[in-house]
Amino acid sequence: MQSKGLKIALTTVVLVAAFGGLLWSTLRDGTEYYKHVDEVMTQPDAWYGKRLQLHGFVVADSILRRRDSLDYRFQVQNKGQVVTANYSGIVPDTFKSDAEVVLKGTLTHDGFAVEPNGVMAKCPSKYEPKPGALGPKGPGV
Amino acid sequence: MATLGAIILLTTFVVCIYAAAASIAGARRGSGRLIDSGVGALYLTTALMTVASGIIVHAFVVGDYTIKYVQHYSDTVQPLFYKITSYWGGLDGSIMFWVFLLSVFGAIAVSTNRERHRELIPYVVAIIAITEAFFLFLMVIHRNPFDTFLAQVPAEGRGLNPLLQNPYMVIHPPSLYTGFVGMTIPYAFGMAALITGYLDDAWLRAVRRWTMVSWLVLTFGLTLGMIWAYEELGWGGYWGWDPVENAGLLPWFTATAFLHSVIVQERRAMLRVWNVTLVIVTFMLTIFGTFMTRSGVVQSVHAFGEDRQLAYMFTVFMVAIAVISFGFVIYRLPLLRSRHELDSWASREAAFLVNNWILLFAALFVLFATMFPTLSEALTGQRLTVGPPFFNKWMAPIGLILLLLTGVAPLLAWRKTTLANLRDEFLWPTAAMAGGAAALLAAGVRVWSAGICFALCFFVTASIVQEFWRGARVRQEGTGTDVLTALIGLVDRNKRRYGGYIVHLGIVLAFLGFAGDGFKREEQVLLKPGQQTTVGHFMVRLDGVEVSDDGQKQMITGHLSVFEDGKAIGHMYPAKWFFRRHEEEPTTEVAIRRSISEDLYIVMPASDLKDQSASLHIVINPLVNWIWFGFAIIALGTGIALMPEAAFSFAAARLRFPEAANTTTSLLIVMMLAGLPALLRAQHVESGTTVPVIARTPLERAMQKKIICMCGTCGRQLLSECSCSLAVSMRAELAKLVSEGRTEQQIVDYYIAKYGSQEPLASPIDRGFNRLAWAFPYLLGAGGLVLVGTVAVKWSRRKPGADSPDAAAAPASAEDAALEARLDDELRDLD
Repeated sequence: MQSKGLKIALTTVVLVAAFGGLLWSTLRDGTEYYKHVDEVMTQPDAWYGKRLQLHGFVVADSILRRRDSLDYRFQVQNKGQVVTANYSGIVPDTFKSDAEVVLKGTLTHDGFAVEPNGVMAKCPSKYEPKPGALGPKGPGV
Repeated sequence: MATLGAIILLTTFVVCIYAAAASIAGARRGSGRLIDSGVGALYLTTALMTVASGIIVHAFVVGDYTIKYVQHYSDTVQPLFYKITSYWGGLDGSIMFWVFLLSVFGAIAVSTNRERHRELIPYVVAIIAITEAFFLFLMVIHRNPFDTFLAQVPAEGRGLNPLLQNPYMVIHPPSLYTGFVGMTIPYAFGMAALITGYLDDAWLRAVRRWTMVSWLVLTFGLTLGMIWAYEELGWGGYWGWDPVENAGLLPWFTATAFLHSVIVQERRAMLRVWNVTLVIVTFMLTIFGTFMTRSGVVQSVHAFGEDRQLAYMFTVFMVAIAVISFGFVIYRLPLLRSRHELDSWASREAAFLVNNWILLFAALFVLFATMFPTLSEALTGQRLTVGPPFFNKWMAPIGLILLLLTGVAPLLAWRKTTLANLRDEFLWPTAAMAGGAAALLAAGVRVWSAGICFALCFFVTASIVQEFWRGARVRQEGTGTDVLTALIGLVDRNKRRYGGYIVHLGIVLAFLGFAGDGFKREEQVLLKPGQQTTVGHFMVRLDGVEVSDDGQKQMITGHLSVFEDGKAIGHMYPAKWFFRRHEEEPTTEVAIRRSISEDLYIVMPASDLKDQSASLHIVINPLVNWIWFGFAIIALGTGIALMPEAAFSFAAARLRFPEAANTTTSLLIVMMLAGLPALLRAQHVESGTTVPVIARTPLERAMQKKIICMCGTCGRQLLSECSCSLAVSMRAELAKLVSEGRTEQQIVDYYIAKYGSQEPLASPIDRGFNRLAWAFPYLLGAGGLVLVGTVAVKWSRRKPGADSPDAAAAPASAEDAALEARLDDELRDLD
């Protein structure tokens, strides 16, 4: 009876340790920090190269699009801190001046590099489709 | 009508409390009459909820916009069908729909099991009634769907979100819901068994079918959700590990585990603690899923809005369930001891056990990853998120191990498999897998993870075919019929086993589809008329963009020519639709060209009418249709497993209602039948079609939710939600006040001074006398609970004089007579 209890305990410990270790190691490269623009831009050095979800507001009239392409450059601000973002791909309908957005990507010395499908516009509408599902009808050029 | 509805909800709440109290007291005193009255009360809740549902559906159909909920989720131009389904379109109604379903299921479960599991029934009734009471409590004090506008009734409703106005969305949520609610019944029986200590397999037999039906409906709901996401949302996939999707998946894992471990308990009298635990966990996960989608704890693209108060109430309820349920499990541990030990790891029960562990681990993993952002914020203050790649990294191996077990378990014998047996059973399936793997390698399919998945599919299919084949051969030799007849006879003789194998076959097909996702290709391009792009072996050319209008919506359609391997194969028309009054939320109409081997999937997220250019998102989804096809097979298999062993033997046992409950119950059955068609329709999740309003500071956002629009026609809508022109100017005014640096109190004072009363405030000021208004509902709820407790205790105590034999004789005689009659019945049944 005792040896059975010991066996169960040992197995549990080994399994938990193995899964815990695996979970920890995969979590490290699977996670992204969820940050507001101002939290990141007050000390950008700490954040270069890290995967981020950046929360902020699109600066009015800052959206530029390269002619005949899906390359965007725009500015995002929060509490006075501003960062320039670069993105290539389709943006959601609600992506426009002053819109509240969450950007997925990494901070580089060139600005914030948004990954593909990484622009999510937050909308007060509670029932929203998948981010990136709806494209732009907002300002081009 | 709204008042009537609100009164009915309140009455139902009281009746539920009575049902719980009477049942518990009846069980403890051994009073058949109290128990019967508890059962009658449970039936009464079904009748009441049916009436309440009738009222709200009627309000939707006639467009009674005095009711806030109706105004919010429907409008006059909506087709009748969607008017009815708006019932479950929002938070309040979906909770009510939940209670309605539970009351119907509860009544059916109780009435079919009343005679056979008499000792369990009072507690089953009590647990169902308490669960109903909780949701009713939520509605009565916090989220009443019958709330009306006190003044200024709007003339028109706001309408259901266009995304939800499609047939999948009508069926998907109610089927998920039905699956969720159905899981309450096994929980109620499991708990009743724990409380009474009748922990043999009786309760398992009572709930096996329920769990299977609920499981099938849940699977159906999840599949429909995938189809909806795939066809309507237009992001190119079907499963995004969104918290709300995960909420539906969590109980699915544990319910699947339960369906398997039940077999082990029946065959080997093992895993009894485990089974009770699984039932409890499944129930808790359904409540948790409801909580997660409705409280705003996790950020999700399709959660209902944030609601802290609701979150607290749910938390209290869930903690109570956990403590009480597991408390009873621990209390009953001595009775739950297994009768057998695991003999060998090369046995079927061991394979089932491993399958259970993995399913439970999958549930825990998904739960952990879904809650991870919330957890990390609570623990470290940093919000960390995990995306679909993280889920996929873990779920792919988990899925593959499960798939392997699906093939291995049927090949193992109960108790112990001998070496000779092992070789005999595994020879052909392994050969099939090896052959398949060699062919795949030769074709250049990559090994991880699609290659392994396909190879395992070969293995599982071969093992299932072998099972059918061997069984049919044995039967053919025994009966001397042809193979086909033998096969049908085989399935008929053990429906659950062979139905289960067919379900497994469906799972294999679905896995083919999941593996196909690894070969997905996608491209985002901007095309001008005449330009073309190549994705895989398809070439897509834009011919132009066209605008049209059908009165209900404006449609922008892209005209595309599609070529496969250089040959023209036809035209595709992705579009965007802008519904009236929902111009801010255009819907995406995906163009899909389906085939057995792959789907060509094209979305046009944006277009420019000036130069006729269009942005296109082009996706090739290989094998995706096999997932839907797999579900059809799963449904077929479950249907076979569900067929009654001896057809309708349970129906032959006539229900005998005691005179006391007679009138209510027969009335109820009539009403249940009337309500049944409504069940076959469906419900939804939530829309909330508010106009985008951007608040620049948190204070401004908070204030927009505290001040209402004063235009007098929108009916006291919050400033953040109202779309009229006055609201726009009021928002501007608020923005100015905030930017002037005023505090919340100063702004409130400003509005009170401006309008001369508290009218512009959405809720009374939380101060002094007004605080009473806030506290009142809670006091009421707490008072009710205390009352129930006292009553239950009091009733269950025997009257002091009742113990002496002479005093007991007179009042108990009527009861005794009834009891004796029942005893006779039961003995007769035994003969």
